[in-house]
Amino acid sequence: MMDRTDHPEFEAKVTFLKFATAVLFVLFGVRLFYLQVMQGATYRTLAENNYTRTIVMRSPRGIITDRNGLLLCRNRISFSLVLDTAKEGSLEKTIASMNRILGLSMTEAEVKAALKRSPVPSLAVLARDVPPDWLQKVETHPDELKMLRVETELRRDYPNGPLASHAVGYVGLLSEEEAAALQLRDPDPFIEVGKAGVEKTANAVLMGENGRRTAQVNAMGREVEDPRLRLPGVGVQKEPVPGKPVRLNLDLELQRILTEAFGEETGAAVFMNPFTGEILAWVSVPGFDPNLFSHTISAKDWQSLAEDPRHPLLNRPIQGSYPAGSTFKPFVALVGLEEGVLTPGTTFYCPGGWDYGGHTFHCWAKGGHGRVDLLTAIQNSCNVFFYHAGDRVGIERLAKWGALFGLGNRTGVDLPGEGSGILPSPAWKLSRNMGPWYPGETLPVSIGQGYLTVTPLQLLSFYATIATGGKRYQPRLLSGEPRLISSVEVSPSTLEVIREGLERVVTSGTGKACHIPGLTVCAKTGTAQVVEASAGKDTKLLDKTIRDHAWFAGFAPRENPQVAFVVLVEHGGHGGDVGARIARAGLEYLFFGKKPGQEEGPAPSAAPLEARGRAPSPAEG
Amino acid sequence: MREALERSFLGDRVTTTVFLLLLAFGTLMVRSATFGTRYAALGDRQVLYAGIALVVFALAALIPYSIWFEYGYLLYAGSVLALLVVLVAGRTIAGSRSWLYLGPIGFQPSELAKAAAALACATVIRDLPDKGLEGRQVALLWGIVGLPMVLTLIQPDFGTATTFLPMAAAVLYFARFPLARILKWGGLVLLGILLLFALGWFTFLKPYQKDRILTFLDPAHDPRGAGYQVAQARIAVGSGELWGKGLYSGTQNRMNFLPAPHTDFIFGVVGEETGFLGSMAVLGAFLLLLGRFLSTLRVARDAEGRFLVLAVFALLLYHLLVNVGMVLGLLPTTGIPLPFLSYGGSFLVSTSFLVGLAGNVRSRRYLG
Repeated sequence: MMDRTDHPEFEAKVTFLKFATAVLFVLFGVRLFYLQVMQGATYRTLAENNYTRTIVMRSPRGIITDRNGLLLCRNRISFSLVLDTAKEGSLEKTIASMNRILGLSMTEAEVKAALKRSPVPSLAVLARDVPPDWLQKVETHPDELKMLRVETELRRDYPNGPLASHAVGYVGLLSEEEAAALQLRDPDPFIEVGKAGVEKTANAVLMGENGRRTAQVNAMGREVEDPRLRLPGVGVQKEPVPGKPVRLNLDLELQRILTEAFGEETGAAVFMNPFTGEILAWVSVPGFDPNLFSHTISAKDWQSLAEDPRHPLLNRPIQGSYPAGSTFKPFVALVGLEEGVLTPGTTFYCPGGWDYGGHTFHCWAKGGHGRVDLLTAIQNSCNVFFYHAGDRVGIERLAKWGALFGLGNRTGVDLPGEGSGILPSPAWKLSRNMGPWYPGETLPVSIGQGYLTVTPLQLLSFYATIATGGKRYQPRLLSGEPRLISSVEVSPSTLEVIREGLERVVTSGTGKACHIPGLTVCAKTGTAQVVEASAGKDTKLLDKTIRDHAWFAGFAPRENPQVAFVVLVEHGGHGGDVGARIARAGLEYLFFGKKPGQEEGPAPSAAPLEARGRAPSPAEG
Repeated sequence: MREALERSFLGDRVTTTVFLLLLAFGTLMVRSATFGTRYAALGDRQVLYAGIALVVFALAALIPYSIWFEYGYLLYAGSVLALLVVLVAGRTIAGSRSWLYLGPIGFQPSELAKAAAALACATVIRDLPDKGLEGRQVALLWGIVGLPMVLTLIQPDFGTATTFLPMAAAVLYFARFPLARILKWGGLVLLGILLLFALGWFTFLKPYQKDRILTFLDPAHDPRGAGYQVAQARIAVGSGELWGKGLYSGTQNRMNFLPAPHTDFIFGVVGEETGFLGSMAVLGAFLLLLGRFLSTLRVARDAEGRFLVLAVFALLLYHLLVNVGMVLGLLPTTGIPLPFLSYGGSFLVSTSFLVGLAGNVRSRRYLG
């Protein structure tokens, strides 16, 4: 049995091996006991954290329609390339692979900037509106592009482009401050919030609320649905609440007609139901394409918009501040009549100017209007009459009544960024450290110049109040119940005088271009001087940038008015020309269903082309 | 009577029973570790490998081991030849040229060389007139072990190459050196390895190898790379708790958090799905096998048989130590599989052959 390998040491060696093996297995056993029994619960939590993910369930934003249900804004499906830094992998290598596989040329700095912008620190949206086949490209490179994924999102789509862009507004990605203010439970780098227009004011209604669910995902981030691996609590935690649709008071067709009537001009036009405050048209030209803004506007697009000398981003009806010009005269007449310093029979002599305090205040008619009464003064927009009238009324009474009509104050329209214009008064002047009020400063104010500035919407609000007989309704883009702001006490006789003057403007005065057979339009033209020196000169000869602004504001019809309007054409020259023509296009559509280039009403499609082509167009008269 | 009984039961009862249990359990674990993944086909293939392993084990356990020794040199020469061929015609997988394909059948010559080297060493001892090894014989045996080791190192497959070291240690242990001297010299060699390692750090170690060592020393190092693997393996084992999550229900395994679950980290799947009890049972089975080998050392009837059992013991212990130590976060990451549990045909066949031989030596201890 025994051979020579059984030297005495061998027994000891075997014993030592037994001992060493036992020590090793005890060590393993202790380690297993420590990991699995003592620390087991901790590791179980770690394992569960590994494969459960909270997934945000996006809620679609509400759509926006006009009063007839025509789409102003909808959602469309879009694919975005998203970087998730919570995934394992090297950012540097991922960018290199991404650029190679997807044909991009992003730098690490750009990617880091995108991460910094994101409301969710680990996620960044690298590219939007990517081709759908990127989804497959990313999925087929699970190792190299582990940190990337292509997500489906709903993006805002404004089918009408620049049309009504200032009313509808646009959306953008949630900023950090907005995220904090909204206190979102389920942050998501794709959350859009309204940044302008109704998108902003009605954001809370439109936005809805993201839902949340817990999903089980594998190491590649793909969801796993094996019931054997199912954890309690996996599933939907909160259903998403979709945003509600919003209906605007706008009439898209009226909006289109008015916008097109502006042609290449810049300016603003607002049409409103005076008895409800419903805004039927909100034109600010030039417009901009709100599609450029969702989600983030490119630096190039932003620059071209911001640096455009025509200021397409300016929401002119509320952010433009202009001298009211002659459209202010009916207000001065109203105050004079109400305060008893003027009567319908009051006359002044207009020789073409008035020397006052060592300064000559000109009338726009060089030769003067001769002796004019109040109605004629409104009809022909005589400056000298209103210099006298304003002088009699005085700045304090103008300021008092101005405030009653909401001048110098925001109208409260449901759009962000409204300006308030300036309603000057001695107190206002003092508060600005501009010294005491001089009586000579009242005269330019009386013809809507001087310190006075208004927003087009404020002026519209004044004319709407004349139409309603003193009731001031809040202008509203969003449909809903009318809101009375205040009632100004104006005697019916005063209102009748003003209305008569406004009707005469259109029938036989400066606003004849808006004379529409079958409709009594009450309106006033205005020519707001941009440069003082242009007074009395033929504005058409002046350089476009210093030509006067053209106003046309009023309501129709005289009895039971259904619409009040304001049209402002920047550097448009005389309000009676271009302003009245634009207003006329809108009124003809509203009251007679007539579209420019068409005869009465929408032409039946069966009508022979020849017959329509020969028909004389009344719009040209 | 007893001999006849044991021989009728495929060699040694205990060895065979434990082998069958580990083989069945291992196949099950590979199936669980590949279920529902793109490696699912490997689970089926492992069943085939297990069948081959069963046949090889039966042959190794039943054919008198003296007959196997007749083929010792031939098998060794064949495996060295295969190792040479693989260097020229092998298929490169994961950076090392270690796969040889004969038509559709692929195998790793380095895995087969482990068994061949052990058998060859035992055959040399059989043929030595003086069975007590002296310096010269030790050098010869080391040469036999060293040749396939160097060829494996050239592939380069550092992990597999180190698995030849336990056989070299077995030779030393078997030699007529006192234990104290072996331990003393062993300590010195360990020191030398450390120095060599320090040298290697600046010369031949590859970045990924350095990474693994750094990760072992400081798990926070590179948590997305090698550290991630170690951390996920630990989570897998720990989250199994006492009873485990059940077969096919390990989330770390099934959801791909555990790296290489069917090969190097299969013990992580064991820990996760069968818990502390299952892991201890697997370790217990291995302990039973190793203890059986140690007791065989005392009763084997000849020196070559005794050496063979010692070599198998060393090889098995080394794989267990390095693999389980890695999964439990006690040792750095190395690509060394766990016997009977890790996926892979060559290694399974090779270990089954050796364990079968070891059982054979025990069952024939009275013969002769």
